[in-house]
Amino acid sequence: MTGSRSFRRNAESLGAIVDFTAKAFEAQGVDRGLLPPIDLALEELFTNMVKYSSSQADVRIEISKIEGGVQVTMFDEDVDFFDVSQARPVDVAEPLESRKPGGLGLHLVQRLVEGLEYEYLPEARRSRVTFRKTRA
Amino acid sequence: MLKIEFGAPGVVIVEGRLDAAQSAAAQTFLDGVNGNVVLDCLALEYISSAGLGVLLKTQKRLKPSGGSLRLTGVSHHVHDIFKYAGFDQIFAIEPAA
Repeated sequence: MTGSRSFRRNAESLGAIVDFTAKAFEAQGVDRGLLPPIDLALEELFTNMVKYSSSQADVRIEISKIEGGVQVTMFDEDVDFFDVSQARPVDVAEPLESRKPGGLGLHLVQRLVEGLEYEYLPEARRSRVTFRKTRA
Repeated sequence: MLKIEFGAPGVVIVEGRLDAAQSAAAQTFLDGVNGNVVLDCLALEYISSAGLGVLLKTQKRLKPSGGSLRLTGVSHHVHDIFKYAGFDQIFAIEPAA
């Protein structure tokens, strides 16, 4: 069983994404303890898609229960290549004076979820991001 | 949704979700605080990188004039986010009891 829905490409969709995720978890019997990291990963990756692409296409999100946890897939259309699984490292030990805002989103995703994968089909200009979270 | 308001003197209470959709409103509010400020996070359910950016910008503004933002009542999950972001090195953080 998979929950699937498309979302308009703007920050106002974040609330609807949160609602969809909670309902998908409930419908599929996914451990609610896994919601916080999934919510955060979805927000960070979706916000990236909104900010860094001129595409007007909706973003589709699929949520599936897997052994011990949950898997999420995000599909994006009419986009350039941008491998979110290869984000440049962030130095979180920098002192306050030299810290700059930005760059933390993908860093948090990489810390919070497992198996972050990026696939790009250049002829279709389509990307797919997959990640999962399981109970330790 | 996010609610941010003044509590007792020197205290700002933040409730709900500090995400990308709410960060601009939170930044506008915190741009108005000065000196030593306690941010009561007891009812803060969630924070993303956008919210972290708001706190970072505020701390960078307060520190040079001797002020600071102290984060109290921080839940386990939010505390993890702060640690992943290295915020435990640049903020005084008090976990929720």
